[in-house]
Amino acid sequence: MERRDFIKNLIVGGLALKLSPGLLSQTAWPELAVVEGESPAAITREALKVLGGMSRFISRGDKVLLKPNIGWDRTPEMAACTNPEVVRALVEMTLEAGAKEVIVMDHTINQPKRCYTRSGIQDAARAAGARVLFTDEQRLKKMALRGEWLKEWEVFQDFVEADKLINVPVAKVHSLSRVTLGLKNWLGAIGGNRNQLHQKIDQAVVDLGAFFKPTLTVLDAYRVLFRNGPQGGRISDTRLQKTVVAGVDPVAVDAYGATFFEIKPQELAFLKLAQSRGLGQFELEKVRIEKRAV
Amino acid sequence: MKRERSKKYLWLQRLRIITQSIFFLLFFWLFLQTHYPGEDYLKITVERFFHFDPLLLLTTLLASRVLMAALLLSLLTLVATLLFGRFVCGWLCPLGALHQFSSFIFKKTRWLKPQKDDRASLAPKYLILVLVLAASLLSLNLVGYLDPLSFLYRSFAVFISPLLNLGLSQSGNLAYLLGLKSLGQAVSQALGNLALNGLFQNALLIGSLFLAAVLLNAWKERFWCRYLCPAGALLGLFSRFNLFQLQIDPEKCINCHLCSIHCETNARPYPAEDWRSSECVYCETCAAICPTAAISFPLRLQATRMQGVNLSRRRLLLTSITGLFLAPIFKISPARHRSHPALIRPPGAAAEPEFLARCVKCGECMKVCPTNALHPALTEAGPEGVWTPVLVPRIGYCEYYCSLCTQVCPTGAIRELTVEEKVTVKIGTAWVDQTRCLPYALGKPCIVCEEHCPVSPKAIQLVRVDTLTPEGKVATNLAPFVNVDSCIGCGICENKCVVMDLPAIRVSSVGEHRSTRNRLVLPTVEDQNQLET
Repeated sequence: MERRDFIKNLIVGGLALKLSPGLLSQTAWPELAVVEGESPAAITREALKVLGGMSRFISRGDKVLLKPNIGWDRTPEMAACTNPEVVRALVEMTLEAGAKEVIVMDHTINQPKRCYTRSGIQDAARAAGARVLFTDEQRLKKMALRGEWLKEWEVFQDFVEADKLINVPVAKVHSLSRVTLGLKNWLGAIGGNRNQLHQKIDQAVVDLGAFFKPTLTVLDAYRVLFRNGPQGGRISDTRLQKTVVAGVDPVAVDAYGATFFEIKPQELAFLKLAQSRGLGQFELEKVRIEKRAV
Repeated sequence: MKRERSKKYLWLQRLRIITQSIFFLLFFWLFLQTHYPGEDYLKITVERFFHFDPLLLLTTLLASRVLMAALLLSLLTLVATLLFGRFVCGWLCPLGALHQFSSFIFKKTRWLKPQKDDRASLAPKYLILVLVLAASLLSLNLVGYLDPLSFLYRSFAVFISPLLNLGLSQSGNLAYLLGLKSLGQAVSQALGNLALNGLFQNALLIGSLFLAAVLLNAWKERFWCRYLCPAGALLGLFSRFNLFQLQIDPEKCINCHLCSIHCETNARPYPAEDWRSSECVYCETCAAICPTAAISFPLRLQATRMQGVNLSRRRLLLTSITGLFLAPIFKISPARHRSHPALIRPPGAAAEPEFLARCVKCGECMKVCPTNALHPALTEAGPEGVWTPVLVPRIGYCEYYCSLCTQVCPTGAIRELTVEEKVTVKIGTAWVDQTRCLPYALGKPCIVCEEHCPVSPKAIQLVRVDTLTPEGKVATNLAPFVNVDSCIGCGICENKCVVMDLPAIRVSSVGEHRSTRNRLVLPTVEDQNQLET
């Protein structure tokens, strides 16, 4: 770098810092963005704007892994998987923020190709520039989760190798954990006999949440599944909520998500466990929330 | 005398090899295309080869008395054979190509060299044909075991496909170990898209028979085509005119016998008067190998005396009677009278008697199934149902919105269904085994089957269940309760149940829509009134 350029940069940078005091003190941003509106993509973009823009979370050259819920062989209007438009907007923003690579991946429950295709997520994410990959059994590795209950489990290495993880769950009801939101979404990052985790689901979800620690959680509540969860099957099982909830604190996001189902966060055992593990705050009155409509 | 082989026939031989390769690759390509294409309906008729097989037309028509329109295409094969002889065997049949290629390879080896001198009768395949047709008359469809296309496709689907899957995934693993991450990724993504099924019951049996069929070429060249193939026999009977007639120029012929020694199907080209036109597959080997270019196949329009294999009337009669007797022998098993609990047929399958009459055990449905759920039966369907498709929920379940298996059946044993129709078809019923189910037996929480039930509202409902533990405590949990009316028997509950060895919820065939006998709950008076209005 030329000396002259250096000095110029110094002056420009210094001025910029002086004129925008918020840039250095992160506390200025709200902890939770709740945006309502007609377009899933627009509310997702707005939610990130409220939080300070994607570049607050993604550095230039990052390898980012986006983890939507692609678990079921269901089309978007069934609200069993994350809304493809939400995923598309996030991929676009991540790439705009300078990410080197965005991988979209989930360990599905139904046949993988059917889930990827019929959820609409494969097409949407690819169109936005992401690499959409099937999970690969060869990439499973037993890892020390150091959870309270789950000491070790098989984890897909892609989730560990990524520089940044963005969790993009969809809001649904579940007959055991009552709701399935962000923390439970990590069941899609592991292999093995996942169904055994249901014997102590709340603890399992928290152990996984403590291990994966996403940079950002964006909860898709554009269409929520309020009955017959977690895969529904009829449009009448879903309800339009037209909302996206985004935040750094995965517990706060899930706590807000619970309110869509008329459930108080303190009623949910996994949220309490998560808070006592130090994963975040479920008492929403203590969380700085900014609501917007677009 | 000048010794020179015929350039024309050397070229024709090469053309034949190219055509065989193309058709073999086409068969294999269609095989690979037989998977979930990313859309609900297959765009290509992946089972097209079968429609050109006149043996399938004949046997399924005789056995089921129902005509599958697409199989009428095989009349083209018959007409062509009537005029030009068995060139289909020599130029187009993919199994013939495989046998010819392996014979060619074995001839080059020291230990696997096939015998040259062959005086064995070529009659067995005709007797097999007669047997199969006679059995078909009494609705016993045996054609699938030795029909060349069914044999090859089944071997590919049940044996080659899992091996391919294993090989590819292991090479992907190796790529990762060598640090070639992008190669490993490319392999795993290709595997995800191809959806090759990796596990099959009876794979070893079917694979061994396939290998045996190939290895038999080390004994006699094109063993299968010479002695076993009932489709070849049918075409042999139809090769009446053979418009291209073998001709040996006596001026050039040096009586070296090379042509007869190298004839792949033992059609005995030398002397020309003894040429068995019904055995000739027009491979052009004799004409190409002749050191003096004495052999040719000129077009002759006048009818000549047709030379076939000597089939004594007594043998034919005996074989027909055997075929007719086989039918009752096969049918005295209890399979037809009382359904086997594990005999879960794919959705769209015809009622059992018609299904057995039409299914040719080709394995198309097993290949296309995206979840590896369909397997060749061994004992579930009785003696006549060996290798017919059966759903094994422990290995794979029926994907709710998928109707692919109904789209590929070449003989209509599985009726084509739209996805909307398919989701209404009940193929069995799930039963909770309370002695193994976690909430019932152990007092532990588990709702995995309910969570996976694809029907809405769910066919697996949850009820509160109290379990008394040895400590005298009462464990209250949600436990599954199956609604037999809405359960479609897809088997995902059994597949995902955490009790791995013998799942605590299992599907049995009872209640399947296709059967009027295997019924479970009779409709109530209210139901009947509702149906009438």
